[in-house]
Amino acid sequence: MKRSFTDLVLRPTAFFAGLMGEKESVKIPALILLVSGIIGAATAYVVSGPSAKMMAGLMPGIETIIIITAVPVALIGVYIFWVIWTGVFYGLSYLFKGNGTFKRTLEVVGYGSLPQILGSLITLVISMLYIPRVVAPQLTNAAAENPQMIQDAVNALKNNPAMMEYNQIVSIVSILFIVWSANYWIFGLKYARNISLRDAAVCVCVPVVGMILIVMYTLIVM
Amino acid sequence: MKKILVHLSIVLYLMLIAVTGVAIAYQTEASLTAAGKIYVSNVTYVPRVFFTDDVGTVTYEVANGDTDQGVVVNHATFSDTNIRLISGSYDSSSNIGPGRQSSAGTIPTIRTYTFSVIADATEGTYYPTFSLSFRDAEGLFYRGMVQVDNTPLVVTILSKPDAFTQGSKKTITVQVANPRKNDVKNVLLEVTGSSFDATPSETFIGSLASGAKTTADIAVTPYQPTTLGLTVNYDNGDNPHKVTMEFPIVFGPDKKQAEPIISNIQVKSTAGIYHITGDVTNAGLENANSVVVTSLLPAVPEDPYKSYVVGVLKPDDFGSFEVTFSTDNGATIPVQLSYKDVDGNVITSRQDVKISSNAVSSQTSDLPLLPIIAGIIIVGAFVGGWFFYLRKKK
Repeated sequence: MKRSFTDLVLRPTAFFAGLMGEKESVKIPALILLVSGIIGAATAYVVSGPSAKMMAGLMPGIETIIIITAVPVALIGVYIFWVIWTGVFYGLSYLFKGNGTFKRTLEVVGYGSLPQILGSLITLVISMLYIPRVVAPQLTNAAAENPQMIQDAVNALKNNPAMMEYNQIVSIVSILFIVWSANYWIFGLKYARNISLRDAAVCVCVPVVGMILIVMYTLIVM
Repeated sequence: MKKILVHLSIVLYLMLIAVTGVAIAYQTEASLTAAGKIYVSNVTYVPRVFFTDDVGTVTYEVANGDTDQGVVVNHATFSDTNIRLISGSYDSSSNIGPGRQSSAGTIPTIRTYTFSVIADATEGTYYPTFSLSFRDAEGLFYRGMVQVDNTPLVVTILSKPDAFTQGSKKTITVQVANPRKNDVKNVLLEVTGSSFDATPSETFIGSLASGAKTTADIAVTPYQPTTLGLTVNYDNGDNPHKVTMEFPIVFGPDKKQAEPIISNIQVKSTAGIYHITGDVTNAGLENANSVVVTSLLPAVPEDPYKSYVVGVLKPDDFGSFEVTFSTDNGATIPVQLSYKDVDGNVITSRQDVKISSNAVSSQTSDLPLLPIIAGIIIVGAFVGGWFFYLRKKK
């Protein structure tokens, strides 16, 4: 591979144009997402702490189950979203008569996810600063027979001032880095699907803006 | 014939002595004079004033004022229908010797006669009779006064707190007075009842003279509304008596007690930690010692001010405080004020502080405006940037 990540960051057009001359490979994108996923798993470990603590009194061992589940889900989730984003871009570009393979699209979306590593790192640092300040309500055995109690406890956890601030900051960080990635995805999709830059921008901007709106809506209703 | 009669009379006399065992008195002018100088010099009733059914003693001191001649007493007894004799009479002969002359005058010889009696009578004044029979003279009859009075000791609460509160030690002052005409002894004040601690539970007062009064302080720590029993045990002579009274312990607000009140409350929230600052003012009439402010559940006290010690607050004095806590439920948080009174009792009070309207609104409005604005700017920059970029490329 002659291109470096610096080319991707500074000269994305040249990077993706050059990539088209090479054999399709998702190894490096998969590694990029693996790094992002590992950091994300560490974040999940930290963030699941209050929930695990809240549920600890409900059933013996549930605390460990929650944490053990959260870590692989975060790791696998990165790859699932990789495929979903790719699928959406691939499908939308189909409307613009795009003609490239799914694997190539998967490859460019993977490369375009490079900023997510930095985003995950920042999220992890924020989590380590904020989550220990979150005081989780403790559920007891009695709550197992009363779903309202569990609902109240979950609401209390969500409405915890530290948790609310954490969610807001993390949302902004994730929006910021998704937008950063989206820029690369537009250039990559242009070449991967052989469509115009305008069409590629539409294919990426529509779902990305949609996702940002969902994140903001979640913040409002929370 | 005359000689025979004399012998017969001697034989009859000896027979009479043999049968009766009593020598016939020889009343002479001197013996009658000597008997005339016998008098009751003192009468002592123990107790001096009886309760009905009390048992006691009466002691008569009989003095012989004659320095030349003694008298022989054959019989001494006590009699009355109300103050009944329960011991025997003096039936054997005894001698009251002559008094002696000294420079200070005549010192009579005194002999005492003591009887056990029971006051088988209602309240009133009685005059039992003491009688002596002399061998060589007539007898002596003496009527002395004795009283039966059923007036008991009086127990009163001299001072008590305005109100009792649970677990708070308060002192009551009990007065024991003796309105009787005689002294009583072994007076013991005893506290009875449950659901409280009393110190001391017994107070020995000792003897209490007629018309005298004494006080005893009792520290009472009640745990629930109850009735405190006060029993005064005492002896009238050797007869035990008691008087009781009940003192209700009712919980209520102490009108004079310290009353710390929180005001000037300000709530701030920093990174999930709430800070409540304000003033504590003592609106009561007594000192509030060691005033401590802290937050209660659902709040969880957090450093640096899990609790805040304000210290002593005099009446109308105030001090500032700050407590820090976190909470899952952002509505109302109970803030606890505790202080100690002069006896060291810890008195706590609660005051609810609204944190939702103060803290949350001061930090953020209902909508998380900042992240929304940031999100809109980012989206605007992203979409707008691409829009202009594409137009420029055209």
